[in-house]
Amino acid sequence: MLLVVTHTREARRDLRNVCRAHEACVVRQFGRAALLSATEFGAFQALRLREKHGLDVQLERVRTFEPEDVPAHVREAAQAYENRESRSTPYRQFAAGRDLPATDQLRGEEL
Amino acid sequence: MKLHVRGTTYEGRVVDLRCQGVRAEAIAKAVRGECVHPAVDAQPPGSVYDYCGHVHPEMGLRTKTALAAAARSRGHETTHDDAIAELRAELSDLDRAEPTLPRARDPIDDATVAERRESAAEVRGRLAAREALGAETAPIEERMRETARTLAECETERAAAVESRRQRRDRAREYRDRQAQRRRLADRLANRQRDARRELLDRIEAQFVTALREVPGVPTDNQPDDPFEAAPVPAALATLRLARTNAPVILEADRFSSPVAAANWLGAPVVRC
Repeated sequence: MLLVVTHTREARRDLRNVCRAHEACVVRQFGRAALLSATEFGAFQALRLREKHGLDVQLERVRTFEPEDVPAHVREAAQAYENRESRSTPYRQFAAGRDLPATDQLRGEEL
Repeated sequence: MKLHVRGTTYEGRVVDLRCQGVRAEAIAKAVRGECVHPAVDAQPPGSVYDYCGHVHPEMGLRTKTALAAAARSRGHETTHDDAIAELRAELSDLDRAEPTLPRARDPIDDATVAERRESAAEVRGRLAAREALGAETAPIEERMRETARTLAECETERAAAVESRRQRRDRAREYRDRQAQRRRLADRLANRQRDARRELLDRIEAQFVTALREVPGVPTDNQPDDPFEAAPVPAALATLRLARTNAPVILEADRFSSPVAAANWLGAPVVRC
């Protein structure tokens, strides 16, 4: 999918108009951003906005993402931490006594 | 002030143009320096002039903003002024221009590079085989140089495309960060300006109420409870009375017995139209 993020009021207004006029290529619309279908038509609409508003329109490609796409230790860490008994324990402390990855370790690893 | 209208030059603190059929709007514009005709030689207007420099029955007035400007013209300062100046300076230092991005290059996919690499390896293998057989190697060597050259070109081009893409994204991101910062500063500036205006109004409100009461020709039973809701003409006159105005006020209202009386009451030069 294509993610279109607008950074000015004018660009946001035009994005809204595009979404209204071409619903079929809109996967989801948020306030100043929208997900457009990964079709040439979706790209055409995204490029029109970029042409008109320059860098005030940010374009990104978005891939599907499922929990299974992530290494098991990350999934297990998230699951364990969300099921912790004491809500106020920070993750750093929670991970320390267990066989869970440290925050810095997670930060340093590209997906 | 000196005023040149239709071949006649007027000079003095008060000029009466009622019989001249001159457009008052044109004179107000000339005082603001927005046009050269009619020729006006007068003190430059302050910001009060933008709101009530031309008083006429159809005018509108942002009374609070005008009053804040009037307070400023009298040298009133606020506790927010330093912060406002700082924010203004920060804002003007921020580069607003969109950056120029490096040229976009067509991306070269991994498959193309792999293909070139494979054919280079193949030619190398054939050369090795020929050498082992003691056969003629010159044409193969030539081919090998050729494939090595295209492979190197392809890899260079790909590296350049990757680098250009990275730079384009980095610069776009920096630009958006800067824009976001600009919006935050502009918001803070607007808030500070609102606070400063409130402070100025607090200081000047009582005098404004008095001036409003003294505006000639206003029936006292017709005054709204909130002085800031007063009709534009009396509000503008009261504001001008409080302000220090050296630029001539263009007056198109029958409130005063004479233009001289108006100038005295307003404490400003007057062009009566």
